Amino acid sequence: MTLSIRELKVSFGKTQILRGVDLHLERGDCLALVGESGGGKTTLGLAIMGQARGSATGEISFQGKDLLKISQENLRELRGREMAMVFQNVEDALDPVQRIKDQIAEAIMVHRSISAKGAGDEAMQHLLSVGLNGEKAGMYPHQLSGGEKQRVLIAMALVNDPDLLILDEPTASLDALTKADIIGLFRSAILGRICIVITHDLSLAAALAEKMAVLYAGRIMEMGRTADLLRNPRHPYTRGLIRSYPAMTATKDLQGILGRMVHGLPGCPFHERCTQRIDICSRQVPPQMEEDSRIIACHRGGIVPLLEIENLSLAFDSYSVLCDVFLSLYEGETLALVGESGSGKTTLSKVIMGLYEADRGVVVLEGRRVNKRDSAFYSRVQMIFQNPKESVSHRMNVLDAVQEPLQVQRIGSHEARLRRAKEVLGLVELPIDDDFLKRYPHELSGGEVQRVAIARALALGPKLLIADEPTSALDPSVQAKILKLLMDLQDKMGLAMIFITHDIALARKISDRLAVMHKGRIVEIGATNEILSHPEHPYTNRLVHCASGKYEQGNGEEIMFQKVYY
Amino acid sequence: MNSASAECCLTKQEHKHSFGKMLRNLFPASFLNYIIALAAIFSLNFILPRLMPGDPLHAIYGDEAMVAMTPEMEAELIRQFSLDKSWWDQLLAYVLGLLQGDLGFSYYYKEQVSQVIMGALPWTLLLTGLALVIATAIGIILGIESGYRRSSSLDRGLVAGLMFLGGFPDFFIGILLLLIFAVSLDVLPLSGATSPYAGYEGLAYILDILRHLALPLTSMILVQLGGIFLLTRNTILILLGESFILTARAKGCSEQCIKYAHAGRNSLLPVTTATGLRIPHLMTGALFIEIVFSYPGVGSLLNTAIAARDYPLIQGILLIVTLTVLSANFLVDLLYMRLDPRVRYAH
Repeated sequence: MTLSIRELKVSFGKTQILRGVDLHLERGDCLALVGESGGGKTTLGLAIMGQARGSATGEISFQGKDLLKISQENLRELRGREMAMVFQNVEDALDPVQRIKDQIAEAIMVHRSISAKGAGDEAMQHLLSVGLNGEKAGMYPHQLSGGEKQRVLIAMALVNDPDLLILDEPTASLDALTKADIIGLFRSAILGRICIVITHDLSLAAALAEKMAVLYAGRIMEMGRTADLLRNPRHPYTRGLIRSYPAMTATKDLQGILGRMVHGLPGCPFHERCTQRIDICSRQVPPQMEEDSRIIACHRGGIVPLLEIENLSLAFDSYSVLCDVFLSLYEGETLALVGESGSGKTTLSKVIMGLYEADRGVVVLEGRRVNKRDSAFYSRVQMIFQNPKESVSHRMNVLDAVQEPLQVQRIGSHEARLRRAKEVLGLVELPIDDDFLKRYPHELSGGEVQRVAIARALALGPKLLIADEPTSALDPSVQAKILKLLMDLQDKMGLAMIFITHDIALARKISDRLAVMHKGRIVEIGATNEILSHPEHPYTNRLVHCASGKYEQGNGEEIMFQKVYY
Repeated sequence: MNSASAECCLTKQEHKHSFGKMLRNLFPASFLNYIIALAAIFSLNFILPRLMPGDPLHAIYGDEAMVAMTPEMEAELIRQFSLDKSWWDQLLAYVLGLLQGDLGFSYYYKEQVSQVIMGALPWTLLLTGLALVIATAIGIILGIESGYRRSSSLDRGLVAGLMFLGGFPDFFIGILLLLIFAVSLDVLPLSGATSPYAGYEGLAYILDILRHLALPLTSMILVQLGGIFLLTRNTILILLGESFILTARAKGCSEQCIKYAHAGRNSLLPVTTATGLRIPHLMTGALFIEIVFSYPGVGSLLNTAIAARDYPLIQGILLIVTLTVLSANFLVDLLYMRLDPRVRYAH
């Protein structure tokens, strides 16, 4: 028993909702279809059921039959018997004027010659098996809660023991406890069948499906094992979805995907919203490539590594400051570099910037080894510093400071530079009137000067921003605003960031990955939430422990400083 | 408290509960509204002639009648209406009269008003009742088929045709049908409800009635049809987009089943409400139609009564028509409760 979909295209009027979907599922497979609304998830489910309203081309082969070719009557016989679908919008999915038992019995009677009483008894059994008591059977939909309605719908889908089960947003309107119950029910319901779960809810996808496909504007962008996909998304769209999903384990603030979905774009459907697009993306549809049992459709092969550091070592005289540092940073990612003072964080950043020459090791930027730091390098990599009042010259006004990198690199005419300066000042949400442009750093607040410094760093349009304690000189409110700004810039420009800090709580909120440095070595590196919840290295453990407000007293007892707040 | 008495208490309470439920099922909350409406109508009927200038007897019977009236009759009438007593006694007399079915005396027909009306009412009820039932049934079926096949030629044709028909006033269609079928083609009778002095019996009598009924009934149905059709069609269009239709289709239900058992069944709810609202319009429509076809119903009677300025008869007809409309609305309310479980269980 297989469900195999090839080149499925569904168009509704002039818009093509599905633009060529390929899927292959065997008995026992459960696939989660995720993606934003309007991506074609429900249309795909409806197309398989033969209920999509538009016209479909391609092939949907199920039990040896091409569902797009067989007659409506044959399709009707398959619906409800061999394949069943539970629709989203639980509140409206049941006929409001019929008793639920009758509605389930109807599903039995349309496919089998059975007496009304026999069907009623069977419906009753199914209602009991999904955990509803006999009293509810005679009720009308409006007398049931959302969870109970969902159970009725599941019972209805399962009465004829279908081989294919499609669940469309099955838990969207349920509270957490009911949802847990219903998920338990689904787990047993999907055994031995082919199952497709359509959902926005990544935690539901993880709970039910071992495979996951990400659908965007009618194409599959990425497909693979659910756990792999969630832990290590390769397509920028998948990463965007994960970043915008409020998971209990996520520590970084939510980041939405910029822009909105547009159907019918030439080339890669995602290219307008993608921060790593190149010319070919808007011209050619990316082919699906399979690698390590992961299918990905991206001209750049997924999220590109921006910076790679291999085996970097540096010693001042005989004192080793950096020792065998390996590091990689992907486009649009924030890596927090944490550790105590003197652990080599700032030194590492200075080596990357070329302020120190490494004794050994390689720095690779966008796939090319960096030998000399020329103007091209600095237009890709920029840095902001701890104390903005010192990093912005007090002899320059705002306009001069922001224009300086452009002048140094002799980019553009006078007017073009002014325009660019105003543009980046707008990006960092500073005013661009003449009065402000003529001000000097001492006339501005700390937060404003740091914004000027960020604008200056952005003037050349870098892809990598190294931020060395950029907010430690600012008060918490201004710090929060600067961090929000940096995250917004990351969304807009796909900016990768190395964020150097000793504040673990801060790192937790803004970074995707965390690298812990200790005595010139990176002792632990990985996803921020994983490292913080399960630190492996004893040094990390101590760091996290202390950051949580637990301090060891001399006698070995812990003082909970958090108690002060309660 | 021992368990037996607790049990007893419980069953007692349950009994009470189910009895209350039964009462509520029999008499919906809106029942009170009907009582209020009835009281208002009776009061108006009582007060209006007494508020008119001059002698209430004049107002009730009109000048012509008063001229022909002997002083003895006048004294008798004054006593009957308690016009020499206080308002309270008058009201009491009025209500007592109503309860006995006494609506006054029609001096034109020289008969009790109630009897005159009872002679005409069955014809009107037959005409309007049949028109209501047939128009609603056809309207719903056409609406379902049309809505289900949106934008097909059937749909377009029906929408255009029925809207065209619905735009005419009742009597105009009546006159048109009369001219075509009774005058030009001469296949159906011109007027009346039965052939006079034909002496038909049994089946022949019924057929005769139906032949007379055909034209007035058709004209009323044609006019009523458009509204029901459009409402059903629109409701179906909305319902077809609902999730439960998707669910029904995913179950494997046949088109026929989706059309009638799910979409059609649900479309009955707004159609029923609209039918209740349309009943007064149906009655006024019947008044015109009856005059056009000289159908011996309440409409023709009212026409005669107005021409003869037979005030007791006019008042009686208005009262009876209002009562009929209210009863019909009450029946529609009961029907709606049967149709929609959400209303049935809403307390």
